[in-house]
Amino acid sequence: MTFRFALFLLVPALLAAQSVADLQKSFEKQVTEFTLANGLHFIVIERHDAPVVSFHTYMNVGSVDDPSGETGLAHMFEHMAFKGTPTIGSKNWPAEKAAMDAVEVVYDRLEAERNKGPRADPKKITAIQMELEAAMEKADSYVEPSEYDRVVESNGGLDMNAGTGEDSTNYYYSFPSNRIELWFLLESERFLRPVFREFYKERDVVREERRMRVESSSQGKLVEMLVATAFAAAPYHNEPVGWASDIEHFRRPAAERFYRQYYVPANMTLGIAGDVNPAEARRLAEKYFGRLPARPLPSQYRTQEPVQEGEKRVTVSSPAQPFLILAYKRPDRHSPDDAALAVLDAVLSDGRTGMIYKDMVRDKQMALGAGSQPQFPGGKYPSLFLLYAAPSTGRSSEENEKELYRIIEQVKSTKVDEQTLARVKTKLRAALIRKLGSNTGLAVELCSYYVNYGDWRKLFTELDDYDKVTAEDVQRVAKTYLVPEHLTVAHTLVPEGGAK
Amino acid sequence: MTRRLLFGALLATAALAQTVPSYQQLVYPPLKQVKIPEPVTFTLKNGMRVFLLEDHELPVVNGLALVRTGNLFDPPDKRGLSSVMADVLRSGGTRAKTGDQIDEELENIAASVESNMGETNASLSFSGLKETAGTALHVFKEVMTDPEFRQDKIDLSITQMDSGIDRRNDDPQGIAEREISSIIYGRDNSYGWSIEHADMARIQRADLQQFYRRYYFPKNVMLAVYGDFSAAEMRGQIEALFADWNVEQPPVPAFPTVTSKPAPGVYLAEKSDVTQTFFAMGELSGTLRDPDYPALEVAVNILGSGFTSRLMSQIRTKLGLAYSIGAGWGANYDHPGTFRIVGSTKSASTTEAIQAARAELEKMRAAEVTEQELKTAKDAVLNSFVFFFDSPAKTLNRVMMYEYFGYPKDFLFEYQKKVTAVTRADVLRVMRAHTNAANLSIVAVGNPKDFGKPLSAAGKVEKIDLSIPPVSAK
Repeated sequence: MTFRFALFLLVPALLAAQSVADLQKSFEKQVTEFTLANGLHFIVIERHDAPVVSFHTYMNVGSVDDPSGETGLAHMFEHMAFKGTPTIGSKNWPAEKAAMDAVEVVYDRLEAERNKGPRADPKKITAIQMELEAAMEKADSYVEPSEYDRVVESNGGLDMNAGTGEDSTNYYYSFPSNRIELWFLLESERFLRPVFREFYKERDVVREERRMRVESSSQGKLVEMLVATAFAAAPYHNEPVGWASDIEHFRRPAAERFYRQYYVPANMTLGIAGDVNPAEARRLAEKYFGRLPARPLPSQYRTQEPVQEGEKRVTVSSPAQPFLILAYKRPDRHSPDDAALAVLDAVLSDGRTGMIYKDMVRDKQMALGAGSQPQFPGGKYPSLFLLYAAPSTGRSSEENEKELYRIIEQVKSTKVDEQTLARVKTKLRAALIRKLGSNTGLAVELCSYYVNYGDWRKLFTELDDYDKVTAEDVQRVAKTYLVPEHLTVAHTLVPEGGAK
Repeated sequence: MTRRLLFGALLATAALAQTVPSYQQLVYPPLKQVKIPEPVTFTLKNGMRVFLLEDHELPVVNGLALVRTGNLFDPPDKRGLSSVMADVLRSGGTRAKTGDQIDEELENIAASVESNMGETNASLSFSGLKETAGTALHVFKEVMTDPEFRQDKIDLSITQMDSGIDRRNDDPQGIAEREISSIIYGRDNSYGWSIEHADMARIQRADLQQFYRRYYFPKNVMLAVYGDFSAAEMRGQIEALFADWNVEQPPVPAFPTVTSKPAPGVYLAEKSDVTQTFFAMGELSGTLRDPDYPALEVAVNILGSGFTSRLMSQIRTKLGLAYSIGAGWGANYDHPGTFRIVGSTKSASTTEAIQAARAELEKMRAAEVTEQELKTAKDAVLNSFVFFFDSPAKTLNRVMMYEYFGYPKDFLFEYQKKVTAVTRADVLRVMRAHTNAANLSIVAVGNPKDFGKPLSAAGKVEKIDLSIPPVSAK
């Protein structure tokens, strides 16, 4: 029996290369792109097998754009984008608008009193706070609750959500394909005329989100401290959710300013994948999104991180089981070394054959899990190459840390063998092929590659970059970037008295 | 299609006039007919059921086998045995090759074979690129039929399980979900017990082999393969490949019956390093076979599914007390699941949020929902129905699942019909018939020092002991 399969064991080094080339060719026929006069870019991917369509709005704005003292504002706007418009979600828009404006007038008075610092009158503050509560209640009385969500859900919208990262903000859901026009209407309306209703209640929700993701999770706390330590000046210093006190002081006008500055059509890319006719999509795009006024693109300049001149270390006291992260400074995604770093990462930790897994998890059994990540927390600006480990019961973080250094020394001193290199490249190709099978995946990938590299084809052509990576390149980038002077170590530490 | 274009042309004229309709004015063309692919099904001479579905979009072949077993069959003194077995089935290699050799062989061709243990089924899956799918399928067969369970990988698996046990109290949401399940099902049976170090200490290689032999035999396996192949050729390949697998065993018995009794009350698991309380409340629900299941799904969607649900709009949007809150009916194919409300809130509003969530449940039992709520919930189910058919893999998995649990082929369409017919009166009736406030168990995981209103305001509080027993304790 086995002989029938024996010939497959003679594996060509570039397995799947032809498949990828064929797929890119067929994608050229499936993909239609156009840019509206206001600068808004559309990528339409036709897949007609099932009458469903997935939509993705990729905003080239993220927490790196948060103003100082208002960390988390990009994320706050993302939440407001579900609150509707003058015509979606209001029982009486003129009255609601007047009531919302009245809230801000009272809030201004509250801040004015608070700004007096030690001379502020606590009684006055209490009185204004009560007034503020009443004003908010009045504004809320005009709200048709969750109307935007209701329209999407009752029309069969699926998996509606949004996420804010360091580099981008993403909005997405899917509809049955006979409701394409509804998406054009709803999505254009919310970015044309968003209403920031229920702003201060949503601020509480966002504050709860921070408690859940960061404050009640030992790994959440650890990652927050990792980036805050590794980045002294660059905006990756702050997590997208923002600092607690900033969230608690958000004001509606600030979020509106942020929206006007960053949510400009030329900063927005829309992906539509599924049972869609590109000509019809273009017509609907002109009709609905053509209404967004052209505005200048915001500045891309961000404070640059100074060169790190020595190891940094941060610990988070936690009764949870230990976790350890090593973070090395690396250049942004446009660096000529980007592909070699991706290959290094795959050599270290992809699948069951990655070096770290084999050594630390499988053979030495010192870690429950361990691996690497080539780019964190973003790619637009210089970021971090991570190695991490969750020690096994009875094994220490110190031991795991030492072992990670030993592996790093190994990739610096010994070139990776040709079989491993070929395997990693084949797996990178296969990973791309497997990404192409879903509407939601396609919509986000093509948008993301277009925004970050200027062309969605980079999704395919980056495989050529990987192919050019040699064993010498892998060794060189390890030697260049995985150096102690550019390292930040973050780990949890069980407080005196032991773990619970 | 022509009509759709004509409709489009009319709208284009409207665009010239710079007017955009409101969402209430939009008219939708009828949805295109869904093409539901029909899998090729057959039974091998050895009794193994096979389902094949061609899908030529990408040069990939995937397979998933279901084995009629599950962690419900774990012995009481060796809980977790089935999970260790499933892990080492793959990592422990075959008689011919070690697991490490298989790792290299598969990853050289970007293929994978993975083994898993669930509650009511085990699975073994493979994935490979078209050009080397034969190798992936061959390794898959060897792992399924000829595992070696090498001792070094058993040791590794047990080390990993022990580390997992020690980490099980790190995630507060995980604690809430686990504890509500244990309380509802009871801790003395495989639906509700937890795996301890002492169990791991007792597990031997012979136990794994015995478990494997009892359940992994052809008549007890269903295999679905989908992807870029010709069904006729794949059939021939599978028939030849599995021709030499002829082990037999008596039929596998039914899964244990759920016999738990309600355990109402408020349970507190203390965790000092959090600023939020994670809570879960619930009781035993039912199965998908229950005639009331469609109405219950609609009812619980109104209560707690999606952004427009009552829990979301009341506790998140209106009160700002939670980021995450929701409810699910949780019916299973074969045994009663658990109906749950799950959420989290800042420590200070713990009792307030729990009481507010319980009040929303009570309201569902006290009065009919509104016509608008019913319509939104039904429309959401019916309009998104097409997504059940948006990939061949979904269709194939569903067909196999229905056969695995003995459901009629048209179950989904019957469900659709019944959802269409659900009335406001039905929603009230099923909520009253299937939920009972007197049976509700409530678990809170948090830091009681920071609770504003004491938790006892929600009911008499019983503490949950989270300590992890060492090996010797049992």
